[in-house]
Amino acid sequence: MASAALSTIAPPVAEKWELPARGRVGIAALILTETAFFSIFVIAYIFYIGKSLTPPYPRDVLTPPVVNTICLLSSSLTVMFAVRALRKGNTFVFAVYWLTTIALGLEFLIGTAVEWHRLIYHDHFTISTNLFGTTFYSLVGLHALHVTAGLLMLIIVMLLTVGGHVNSRYAEHTEILSWYWHFVDAVWVVVFTTVYVIGR
Amino acid sequence: MATEIALGELQSTAPLPMLGRLHEWVITVDHKRLGLMYIGGGLLFFVIAGLQALTMRLQLAVPDNHVVSPQVFNRLMTMHGTAMVFLVGMPILTGFFNYLVPLMIGARDLAFPRLNSFGFWLWFFGALLLYFSYIGGDGLYGAGSAPDVGWFAYAPLTERAFSRGNSTDYWILSILLTSVGSTATAINIIATTFSLRCRGMTLGKMPVLVWLAVVVAFMMLLALPPLSAAQVMLLLDRYLGAHFFDTQAGGSAILWQHFFWIFGHPEVYILVIPVFAFASEIIPVFSRKVIFGYQVMVAASCAIAFISMGVWAHHMFAVGLTPAGNAFFATSTMLVAVPTGIKIFNWIGTMWGGKLRFRVPMLFSLGFLFQFLVAGLTGIMLGVAPFDWQLTDTYFVVAHFHYVLVGAIVFMIFAAIYYWFPKATGRMLNERLGQWHFWLFLVGFHLTFDPLHFAGLHGMPRRIYTYQPGRGLEGINLIASIGALVQALAVLIFVVNVGYSLAGGEEAGPDPWDAWTLEWSTTSPPPEYNYAKEPEVHSRRPLWDLKHPEDPDWLYE
Amino acid sequence: MSGEGSSQDPGAPRHIEVPAPTPWPMITALGITLLFAGLLTSAAVSVVGFALIIAGGAGWFGEVFPQPRVERAEVQTEAVEIAPTRLPVAQLASAEQGNRAVLPLEIYPYWAGVKGGIAGGFAMAALAVAEGLLVHHSPWYTINILAGTAMPGLAHASTAALCAFNAQAFVVALMIHAVVSVLVGLLYGVLLPIVPRNPIFFGGLVAPLLWSGLLFATLKVINPLLDARIEWGWFISCQIGFGVTAGLVVSRSERIHTFQHLPFAMRMGIEAPGIRPTGER
Repeated sequence: MASAALSTIAPPVAEKWELPARGRVGIAALILTETAFFSIFVIAYIFYIGKSLTPPYPRDVLTPPVVNTICLLSSSLTVMFAVRALRKGNTFVFAVYWLTTIALGLEFLIGTAVEWHRLIYHDHFTISTNLFGTTFYSLVGLHALHVTAGLLMLIIVMLLTVGGHVNSRYAEHTEILSWYWHFVDAVWVVVFTTVYVIGR
Repeated sequence: MATEIALGELQSTAPLPMLGRLHEWVITVDHKRLGLMYIGGGLLFFVIAGLQALTMRLQLAVPDNHVVSPQVFNRLMTMHGTAMVFLVGMPILTGFFNYLVPLMIGARDLAFPRLNSFGFWLWFFGALLLYFSYIGGDGLYGAGSAPDVGWFAYAPLTERAFSRGNSTDYWILSILLTSVGSTATAINIIATTFSLRCRGMTLGKMPVLVWLAVVVAFMMLLALPPLSAAQVMLLLDRYLGAHFFDTQAGGSAILWQHFFWIFGHPEVYILVIPVFAFASEIIPVFSRKVIFGYQVMVAASCAIAFISMGVWAHHMFAVGLTPAGNAFFATSTMLVAVPTGIKIFNWIGTMWGGKLRFRVPMLFSLGFLFQFLVAGLTGIMLGVAPFDWQLTDTYFVVAHFHYVLVGAIVFMIFAAIYYWFPKATGRMLNERLGQWHFWLFLVGFHLTFDPLHFAGLHGMPRRIYTYQPGRGLEGINLIASIGALVQALAVLIFVVNVGYSLAGGEEAGPDPWDAWTLEWSTTSPPPEYNYAKEPEVHSRRPLWDLKHPEDPDWLYE
Repeated sequence: MSGEGSSQDPGAPRHIEVPAPTPWPMITALGITLLFAGLLTSAAVSVVGFALIIAGGAGWFGEVFPQPRVERAEVQTEAVEIAPTRLPVAQLASAEQGNRAVLPLEIYPYWAGVKGGIAGGFAMAALAVAEGLLVHHSPWYTINILAGTAMPGLAHASTAALCAFNAQAFVVALMIHAVVSVLVGLLYGVLLPIVPRNPIFFGGLVAPLLWSGLLFATLKVINPLLDARIEWGWFISCQIGFGVTAGLVVSRSERIHTFQHLPFAMRMGIEAPGIRPTGER
């Protein structure tokens, strides 16, 4: 600006004016606040590791859900490919990848449901059994709730795709939704580490 | 130097019938209307919660008084605290940001206007739910009515075993709703400032108010979730028999306190940084000088936001933390005083050598400056752990935080209302009534809260519903109660002033204060779309540049 | 959301698109509230809330898909005068660049403050010794009292002991007196140029009275034994003696110009082409 100021007082010519897309900033802010929310539950989980007064203890009842984890993490890849395909205008490839993502997410939810069913009816282990139950069900349940919300949104987009309403104009929207899905996956990495690695 | 600018059709349409106009406000997504609804709703609850405070002061005016029963007193104190923070402070301040941020950055609306409406209504229904507890709080067990657990609702005392009935659930659920609403607003403000600034408005050219709005929005994103998470845990405890705060099952008795104050302390700054923002806009205009040390001002605010995230346990010295913990939190508390001091010096530096105009907004700003200084000093006193052990849960603490919340925040909110009222309504608030309002409120404030420091030093505990004669507390409490009445009178004058000025106040014109930020370049009130032509700015004071084309600011920044 | 078409037109457009009003976000919010309220009242309320959330969500989605619904707001143009609305204020005579000046224009050099502090220190010492001689018939009394702020033992000493010469106390008092005098003198040097008028009145009377009052109010609590020994009338006159002398010396010194308005490189004396203050024309 100094150079423009020397001889004239006409305002300097503005350069190119580009700002980030509001959707991306918005979803980043949402992810930030959700991160803070999950952190508190993770802190509570870690704080209460080994503080349960009565059995069962994590080692007795938990087995790491490896298949679930692989499914959920790979769904991050498929959703990325889906968005990339949509950007190129390839709606069919998009639909295939998108459906795969939904299937992988559903597998994760069903896997969690099976695990919980076993814990509740076989091990008689519920949220009110002990501190471990309290923290386990709330943390894993909170994450499952986010997976469910994400899945619902994915399914709505899928229905619109089947109806022929989705094209490359909406690549940005699906990209933003995919950020949320990546976030849910990333949270699972933390939850898995906390519950099945550190806590066990 | 005239600029072609648009005037909305707001005035030209024929006045709608009452119901139609109400419908228009209910379905609006306009940031200006929602901002005014936030402020109006906040002021409504300010009056309600203020009357509750007045009732408590009447009960405490003389020893062994029987205006209200102990149970009612506990509810009054809980509802007063909760309402003043979540239903008064938060909405009024987010309302101002809603109204001002898009105008100041030359945008037509917030980034997500429908989300904005959603946030407002969540807040509004949450607020109604909280006060509905007076009617519906009996719940299944027929025990209790409104919440009576204090605004920080310490678990395990809020567990089912100790807090029967549904009153605590009302507290949890309604505050959860308002927090989600606030989070929506915070996301909106961040996206708006990052994505919708007008041409030429780089981050370094944003008005200080917009900067601080972003800082506060980030603090909301990080500080509100701990409260929401803790409330969800408490709900799980109360409804599903979980054991987060259940000491019988090995749960911790102080975990709630940590979670609450991880939220609670930054919350103080979420409330006070917006009023710093108001001061940083008002003081320069009424001193006819640029803000002193713009960069340092912004940096100090960021520093306050950062440090305030790491001081929460100074609310818990009396719990019995480790010596290392006490030392850490006492030190970090002292550290906040450094950027805060920088800001106070900068405001004084702004005024010094300026041509001061003592209009009502400036008077309130000056009151804010002095009272905030005193509040900061008592804050440092309480930050010293041994001193805090002596005075924790006494009226000294009450006096300290009311100096912040009333002496600083409420004073500055009044300043902001007097300053931006002409922009929002097209009419000036009456200056003479404003002067009465200021001086009465000032006198009433000091009558109430100065003596309460000494009540605390004399050992009067907070939250008691009465006290015995002969302990040296009678005079202090009587003066404080008289002061509360004077404050109420001042607020009454304010309400009258708003009604009077709306009906027949002096026409304001677009720029009554000869100010420098963008919102004064459009009509008062601004049209629905704010600016017909997107503005382009070259400096931090775009209107100065337009008014003084021979000596523009951008030559010097 | 906002009218995209408007930015292409250099003049003011006739219409501007603004987001259309919608009740759906409110209905969604009401639904969530009722869902929560069901926990407090009865499950039926939650069911209604859930239905409202579904309806509100669907309606909201309809607002933004496939395109956010907008409304055309009509524009009426009218000239808005952007001009100073008040009479121009008097310009600083010495402001070199129109409206701008970095204040203060002139300051006292630091050594003026040091000199003032030393002079004030002598004046104060003379008054303090005079007090000792007149009240307690010993020049050492006030010196010992000053040393007592740092030497707790002296606070318990008898008046007779305080009137006697004490070498250690003398050295301590001398050090305290010298350091504080010079520091306060420096402060005067910095503060006096920014006092609007009557620097002698402020430095000589107002400031000493302020800190004497502060000390008078707090010393009872901090050090009651010392407090009992102090003659406040004499104390205040000593402070005023210091203030007036230091103020006179400082304000009589020659002022120097500040160079804050020059860029850092120029103040450092670096000479190179292109280093000119941006404001110079």
